[in-house]
Amino acid sequence: MDLSIKMLITAVAVPVFGAFLIPFAARISTAARNAFAVLLGLFTFLAAASLAGTVLGGQTAGFTLTFPRGFDLILHADLLSVFMASVSAFVSAIILIYSIDYISHYENQTEYYAMVVLFLGSMMGLVFSANLLWMYVFWEMTGFASWRLVGFFRSDKDVAKANKTILVTVFGALCMLIGIIMVYFDHGTLDLRALHGAGISYAAAAFILAGILSKSATLPFSTWLPDAGVAPSTVTSLLHAAVLVKIGVYAYARIFGVTFAAPDAFSNTVLYLAGASALVSAGAALIDTDIKRIIAYSTVSQIAFIFLGLASGNKTAFAGAILYILMHSVAKGGLFLCAGIIEQNTHTKDINKMGGLFSSMPVTGAAFALCSLSVMGIPPFGGFFSKFLVFSGAAQNGNLAVLLMFLAGAVMTLLYLVRLFYKIFLGEAAGHGNPKEGSVTMVASVMALALIGLALGALIYYPSAYADLLTNTLGVNLQ
Amino acid sequence: MDKGLLAYLLIPLLSAVIIPFAARNRPRLADILANVTLLAGLVNIAWMVLRPSVVADGFADIPGDMLFPLLLVGAIYLVALCVTFFSAWFMEEGQPNRAAYYSLILASVSAMTGVVTTTDFFTLYVFIEVLAVTSFALITTDDSRGGIEGALKYFFLTFPASALIIAGISILLIVLGDLQFETLRIFMASDVPPGPAVFAAALIMLGFLIKAGVVPFHAWTPDAYQGAYAPVSAHLAGIVTKISGVYAIVKLGTLLRFFDGRASALSEMVMFLGLLSIAVGALAALRQKDFKRMLAFSSISQVGYIVLAAGLGTPLAVIGAVFHLFNHATFKTVLFLNSASVEKSAGTTDMEKLGGLEHSMPWTSWTSVIALLSTAGVPPLSGFWSKLLIILALWEAGLRGYAGLALLFSIVTLAYFMVMQRKIFFGRKSQAAESAPEVSAPLLAPAVLMSAVIVALGLLFPYFYTYVKMVAERIIL
Repeated sequence: MDLSIKMLITAVAVPVFGAFLIPFAARISTAARNAFAVLLGLFTFLAAASLAGTVLGGQTAGFTLTFPRGFDLILHADLLSVFMASVSAFVSAIILIYSIDYISHYENQTEYYAMVVLFLGSMMGLVFSANLLWMYVFWEMTGFASWRLVGFFRSDKDVAKANKTILVTVFGALCMLIGIIMVYFDHGTLDLRALHGAGISYAAAAFILAGILSKSATLPFSTWLPDAGVAPSTVTSLLHAAVLVKIGVYAYARIFGVTFAAPDAFSNTVLYLAGASALVSAGAALIDTDIKRIIAYSTVSQIAFIFLGLASGNKTAFAGAILYILMHSVAKGGLFLCAGIIEQNTHTKDINKMGGLFSSMPVTGAAFALCSLSVMGIPPFGGFFSKFLVFSGAAQNGNLAVLLMFLAGAVMTLLYLVRLFYKIFLGEAAGHGNPKEGSVTMVASVMALALIGLALGALIYYPSAYADLLTNTLGVNLQ
Repeated sequence: MDKGLLAYLLIPLLSAVIIPFAARNRPRLADILANVTLLAGLVNIAWMVLRPSVVADGFADIPGDMLFPLLLVGAIYLVALCVTFFSAWFMEEGQPNRAAYYSLILASVSAMTGVVTTTDFFTLYVFIEVLAVTSFALITTDDSRGGIEGALKYFFLTFPASALIIAGISILLIVLGDLQFETLRIFMASDVPPGPAVFAAALIMLGFLIKAGVVPFHAWTPDAYQGAYAPVSAHLAGIVTKISGVYAIVKLGTLLRFFDGRASALSEMVMFLGLLSIAVGALAALRQKDFKRMLAFSSISQVGYIVLAAGLGTPLAVIGAVFHLFNHATFKTVLFLNSASVEKSAGTTDMEKLGGLEHSMPWTSWTSVIALLSTAGVPPLSGFWSKLLIILALWEAGLRGYAGLALLFSIVTLAYFMVMQRKIFFGRKSQAAESAPEVSAPLLAPAVLMSAVIVALGLLFPYFYTYVKMVAERIIL
């Protein structure tokens, strides 16, 4: 067997099965368990990243396990899946490192690590699956892991919100399964490689879209995401920023971007839905006072920009959307982790009770500022390039109403992030005891993410070349 | 009756007769005899079916007419073994009717084996009645008020079912001249107008729908399951009602050739009742306050899926129905046994009084979560595959409304499961949970074993599919 196929299998199998070994590692000692979890995360990242060489060389790697009735488990590494897998595994690995200090004084730590790694493994499975049914299987596994993670604290309120999360996303997933069944009977196969360039009926596309929107928390299924903010910050950053909501975006790119030729009217509907989602959630971010809810609303709003890029139907926008996934994962992950440090040291989530924290937490403040700038899309940060490409692509598409909606959304992004930064770090100190800087690993993690955001902007040539290659090789029905 | 399978019927019956004598002075001997009998049978079946050489051949060595009975006998023995093993540690020392209890369990195993191996309606009726009597006695094992109430309800509400079945069988005898299954099948395949035979079959079907607890005939199920002695509810819900009701419905559906539309009115009626069960059972389960009662309604809802598929009757639907029947036996047994553990440990099954058991009873909690996720059809557990097959079958037959509704009711299943886990396992610790210790390892063993089966069937779906597909082909063609 080829080395790249082996790496492909290990990238999925190691975290999925490793997750179930974490309780046994916990029997040895806490340190062994933490080290094992971090190693699993790093290993997964390396395995996924090692496939980059193969796919950049114009090859793909595939592995098939035969199941009856065309339900084969097909793992397939191409430019899109390797990109997505590397980004999510990288951010997850950073989150695992940050977690060691962050959750060290809570209960249920073993379950936490097991679920984070299981989540990562299911994400890898989802990304590499080239069979719609197995995408659905891994999709539900991520739902299960996120349900346990959102319910990490066990008060009635937390558990109720975790239940809301899973019920909304599973409802969407079941709609998606109906769509998948339609595809199955229309085309007789679920193998995405065989379906490349095929047509898809409106009904099937709409059902699949419902699943995607519920997972990526876009209107009309957006309400669970801010509520899921009751979870620990590591989880919110994992779920909201880096991985979970990107699942929906990835599925859109995979199904409607590089497999089926989506009907034009369908893409236009997606554009309007995304535009409404961007505006509504940016508005909510402007008035909310809970730091994590603001960042969560911001995520909903930014995800809409990615949909704008994917659904605009031309190469510039599509490549921009791919870059956007990368930039947003890094920057938003950083913001949530900063929020975690702030919340843990000031013991509040209400931004009206904060203020003047810059003097006591300079490094966190700087990292927060850098990540915010990237999300706003200020040059030379990575976020600028992705936003620019998405907008110029959307302008080519020529739908003025949608463009104006998103421009308003972008301006609002600027406003709410400036407001957030001002309320937390500048202005008068608002009587919050004596906050101090977070621990070294935590601060180092956020600073790393912030600097990577800056570096991605400075070295934009490389990611952008990758995104262009991806768009040109795999894109379907793009102008 | 298939002679090759007769031993699975006679040996438990023999043990059932021996136990009261053997265990007169040493009550523990009853436990041992019952467990050894069932374990021996299970090992024997496993050897016949799961030998590597047999699996490698795609089960070609097993005679075609033994495939389906073997699968069901395996399920019967597996569930019954879990129940007797659990009871051996659950039952308090000095319980007066220990020997009678094990005798009854073995007698019911024997009757169930008779039901699934028989090839004519009269024998079927006899074994169904034996099964009803043993279950009736088993429910009252602990003489509690609830037990007697449940037993009476079970008796009075399923009594009309027996009357309907015997009436149907009489008419069938007049129409066909004999009561062999094969005669009915051949009759349905011929060009003779099937009216009278279908009428007779409809009466029989109605009787079995009552026995299966399908909506609107479900009134007895929650009371019987809730009131019964704890391990007995696992036995009843896990296997007895499935064999005495649901199995017969699947069998009758294939004999009536539902798939080629010879009895389409009856087929449509059965499917409608199946969907109604799915909906009513799931919605009612949402509102329950008691762990066991919620499980009972969940059982009604899951039986709905099997009945829906049986009513459709296409090969794929029968595969799904048989697979779901087996899966239902595994996950319901886990859940009812765990409810018994919770009752023993925390002293109640009232969900308002429970909460936060995950720390004190981790094994019970996590095996319940696995079983519940499988019930809700969450991949990659076994329940997902069987539900998917049923839904694909419905879609293939052009019944998209049924398929969509059946699928979307999974979300209600998940919703009541969420209520349950929030109130019992996760969530805040209650007073009752504070002092509840994890039950001993032998009590956990059956639930852990069954959970392993659930996970394994989910992951090894291709192997199991091959087997079940052969079963379905065999019983339809």
